[in-house]
Amino acid sequence: MIYVITLLIGAINSIMILLNGTLSASYGNLSSSIIIHTVGLIGIIFVLLITKTRFKLDRGIPLYLYSAGFIGIGTVLLTNVSYANLGVSLHLALSLLGQTVSSLIIDHFGLLGMKTAKFNPKKSVGLLLIVFGILVMTVYK
Amino acid sequence: MLIIYLLLSMLSGVTLVIARIINSNLAARIGTYQGTLVNYIVGLFFSLLFFLINKEAVDLSYVHVSSIPFWAYLGGLGGVIIIVASNYLTPKISAFYLTLLLFVGQLFVGIIIDYLLLQEFSTGKLIGGILVALGLTYNLFLDKKTTLKTE
Repeated sequence: MIYVITLLIGAINSIMILLNGTLSASYGNLSSSIIIHTVGLIGIIFVLLITKTRFKLDRGIPLYLYSAGFIGIGTVLLTNVSYANLGVSLHLALSLLGQTVSSLIIDHFGLLGMKTAKFNPKKSVGLLLIVFGILVMTVYK
Repeated sequence: MLIIYLLLSMLSGVTLVIARIINSNLAARIGTYQGTLVNYIVGLFFSLLFFLINKEAVDLSYVHVSSIPFWAYLGGLGGVIIIVASNYLTPKISAFYLTLLLFVGQLFVGIIIDYLLLQEFSTGKLIGGILVALGLTYNLFLDKKTTLKTE
């Protein structure tokens, strides 16, 4: 079930890329980022109000836990630079490679509070298929 | 110079994974919706900051606001669904599977969107996507086996 939800979220992501892409084509990247974040902020405030969620900040939380929104802007800027210089498909393939390798490392060592999932050498077969798939997408349009 | 762009491209993938995990860690501490709120406040703050530093030329007279369809503004709401859901999913699934399942869902709907809107069909994307999905299924299958053995 968790896997199905994850697939659906990926699907929503595709729709979102279409919407945000349409917006940034007209407004530019940073201006549209402001619009996107404002709409999102209104959306989540609405959710908080409907669910009557109380908001309390815990002072003991390390500062870096608040940095995801900042890192997200980093992703946008890095993506823009690579898009402009490498084209869409090569960028997507390399970004996926970066995601795959970093998540394998994070899983293997249990970094950032994730559960440790040691890499099973038998999985190299599946990994090879995945890398080959990424390669096909990049080379053969 | 090219090698730097290749590295930056990979790095954008790394930042995606790290932001997702940090967000879910925060959500575990203060709640899923609250964590999403913080994500948007911080994101908006830095969007504004970079906007001011970068001085991206915004000539609003040039932007044909009426020509932008209403639905294009709703992307931010999709983002809320994605962040709420990934804050919920991230602790329950390995980072690796999360990455790849998100990708497979995104890729196949992307192929459908391209076909419906642009009448474009990429055979390479379809074949590559099927290969990625196969590799993923194979590894998921191996995982099932090992958990069955240990149980």
